[in-house]
Amino acid sequence: MGRMETPPTFTGYRRENGRIGVRNHVAVVPTSVAASSVATRLASDAVARARATPHQMGTSQPEATRRQTERTLAGIGRNPNVGAALVVELGTEDVDAGALADRIAGTGKAVETLTVREVGGTSGALDRGATALERLNAEAESARREEADASELVFGVECGGSDATSGIAANPAVGEACDRLVEHGGTACFSETPEFIGAEHVLAERCVEDEVRERLLDRVDRRERLADLMGTDIRGAQPSPGNQEGGLTTIEEKSLGAISKGGTSPVRGMVDYAEDLPVGGGLVLMDTPGYDVESVVGKVAGGAQVIAFTTGRGSTTGNPIAPVIKVTGNPKTYERMANNMDVNASTVIDGESLETVGGRVYEKLLAVADGTPTEAERRRLEEFAVNEITPIELAELEARG
Amino acid sequence: MKGEVLDGAALRMAPADTVATALEDLPAGRRLSVEGRSVELSEAVAFGHKFALRAIEEGEEITKYGYVIGRATEPIAPGDWVHVHNVESTRGRGDLRAHGGETA
Amino acid sequence: MSRRASEPAAAGDEVGDERTFAGYDRGDRGTGVRNRVLVLPSVICSHVVADRIADRVPEAVSASHDHGCAQIGADNEQTRRTFLGLGANPNVAGTVVVGLGCEVLQSDEVAADMADRGVPVRELSIQGVGGTDECVERGVDLARELVDDARASERATADPGDLTLGVVASDLRDSTVGTADPLVGELVSSVVEAGGRVLLAGTERFTAHPDAALDATARGAREGMAALLEAHRDRPARATRVRAEALDYGFDDLARQWDGLRIEEVVRYGDPATLDDGVALVDAPARFEEAATGLAAAGASLVVHVTGEGVPAGHPLVPVLKVSGDPETVAALPDDIDVDATTTGPQALADRVLAVADGEPSRAEVHGLTEFAITRVGPSM
Repeated sequence: MGRMETPPTFTGYRRENGRIGVRNHVAVVPTSVAASSVATRLASDAVARARATPHQMGTSQPEATRRQTERTLAGIGRNPNVGAALVVELGTEDVDAGALADRIAGTGKAVETLTVREVGGTSGALDRGATALERLNAEAESARREEADASELVFGVECGGSDATSGIAANPAVGEACDRLVEHGGTACFSETPEFIGAEHVLAERCVEDEVRERLLDRVDRRERLADLMGTDIRGAQPSPGNQEGGLTTIEEKSLGAISKGGTSPVRGMVDYAEDLPVGGGLVLMDTPGYDVESVVGKVAGGAQVIAFTTGRGSTTGNPIAPVIKVTGNPKTYERMANNMDVNASTVIDGESLETVGGRVYEKLLAVADGTPTEAERRRLEEFAVNEITPIELAELEARG
Repeated sequence: MKGEVLDGAALRMAPADTVATALEDLPAGRRLSVEGRSVELSEAVAFGHKFALRAIEEGEEITKYGYVIGRATEPIAPGDWVHVHNVESTRGRGDLRAHGGETA
Repeated sequence: MSRRASEPAAAGDEVGDERTFAGYDRGDRGTGVRNRVLVLPSVICSHVVADRIADRVPEAVSASHDHGCAQIGADNEQTRRTFLGLGANPNVAGTVVVGLGCEVLQSDEVAADMADRGVPVRELSIQGVGGTDECVERGVDLARELVDDARASERATADPGDLTLGVVASDLRDSTVGTADPLVGELVSSVVEAGGRVLLAGTERFTAHPDAALDATARGAREGMAALLEAHRDRPARATRVRAEALDYGFDDLARQWDGLRIEEVVRYGDPATLDDGVALVDAPARFEEAATGLAAAGASLVVHVTGEGVPAGHPLVPVLKVSGDPETVAALPDDIDVDATTTGPQALADRVLAVADGEPSRAEVHGLTEFAITRVGPSM
């Protein structure tokens, strides 16, 4: 595979701001938990295109927490997979639905707001919301389909439910796909900062600039301090007894196995939770907790159009806005949970080369970008949660200055 | 990470690695062909576990994925099972001592 | 009967013991006012499966949440306790626990603990049965089994003394403290006088006034109250705004919500309340979804939610009565607020509570939208 090779192409939705989406959803985004159940009901009653993003953020949050909530919700609405959006609020939230809608509309897509208190309450909101969704659906339908190439893809990768096969099969295979995407000019992003611990020096060496390196080490240190505050020593506790039974000997080995899902490219940048990911940015890290649902949401909010999720034991989670490709290196999991898995990486165990398996992951990425639904999508398996900066974390951030 | 399958039975993640990972439960006495040499397992190595591809001295660093994953706490012969009984972390316990932290 | 710390309730405003309702006698677990089968995902990853099972089985409800994964230590323990408490809630006829398989908080362990408590329970995991499709099918079968058993539950005549009423206010607007709380306080008094139990959620009122809080606590519960105050002293509040606003009021004003009655027990989040009658405090923040869950886990069969804001959502396990003292809110959400505290008297409130206990749906039950959350002790890892 040479550098002169032209990147593979797919057909997506060209948005007004030039970004390409791989889906055309109408997002129903509540600004707080008080509007979440209305958003969920609206989306489930409405046309097939509607996707709710319910979460548990309160109506009143400390400033830094609120900023992250706003950034995340705005990023979700701005994701190029979203063709139109409805922002739903109770009406008493600190987060301003109008401002959020403006941020989303800045991408050129149609956005409306719905305030439960201004339309007579729950039943009024369900009525008005249904009508709004019909309008927004019509707007989304007019989206332009266009050919794009892999350089326009932002590919987020995640691992969850890891086992002995993760670090030798599924993760390196996905890493191979990331390498190819980066070579073709795209962006690959992985996160779950606590899992860098033990291999952060390796990532640090691969950072292209001091600024990136410093930020990486600072974020790793922050997460480790947070764990300390909770009474957990991550280094001392990893690998777990279960991991050790499976063959993992040291935290370095475990973490190297984890970060192998991002491939071997230089690290061109590191962004914070839900911060914008650059298009054509090469390998970029995002600082997120290890908690899968929040971590995936962070990357999608950053603009990732497709997610690959490696899982040894068989996690079945998906995301409402971005298709999630499940990759497993465990043959039993692939067999037992065939209806929830997309790529079988357990063939590595039978001797198939990582290069070949990685190639299959890459092909799957492009097929999904082109419209092939993942198993999670076919079943509408969607999880959504926003990472909340809790008061304990706020205090810690303040202490660090 | 290209990885290399050794004799259909083990996976060496990077060319410079001094250990390989068993892709199935391998019995003691099993011989694998590695770069024209023969490595014989001195004991059984279970799926997902590692064995040494060459002699590793006590105190020498052990390489997997092209990076250091730990340090030998005793001399390791080619074909020996490599795990917590003869390896210590270079990133973990040293830091633990420095932090003085407690395990959860 | 509890000793009052402040003025007596107005005469004639009693729930009274000639008023009865048809409840469900769950023995040790108390008297329920609903007969539901709970489908409980033990981790966020199984919540869609739980929702799908509940959608297909009438009389089953799911309690979907964002937890169960990447939780450690005390946080994980709190979630586990809460699951147990929810399964034991008197409105619950039986529980189906749905897990994924790789989470720390294993569904089979949760189910075993519930069975130990005498709760009819079934369990399955996505990885155990081989995928989400299969898990939904099997889960539906298990839920139907429990629903069939539940149909056999007989209704027993109960009186207000059999009630465990939960109370939470999720804001401290003037209308809440000045109008809605005092009305609810009358209700609290009459339930307690009839021999019932009232569980409060919202520690902010107490942590903002620690000395007064201790004074307001019965001797037997003082140690528990002191421990709660101590634990919260170093921990920033989860409901930051309510905590800040609690400082703007005197404790006596805030205590009108429970008519100034003594706090007889302090209950850890997720644990069951054990008092026979009187007022207890559940260590839960004044965030409605989390508070209602804590109250349900503690054994409340019905929750009164004082909301100046007008948060409309109900809760899957307990009927929620919305009470607001804010005229704008009542006008803006006419079908979502059960009781307008500016125009309703204590007798009418008590009547409404009994009617809902007897089976009449609350406004939230009519629109059917619910929220569910479990209080976290720490951040995601």
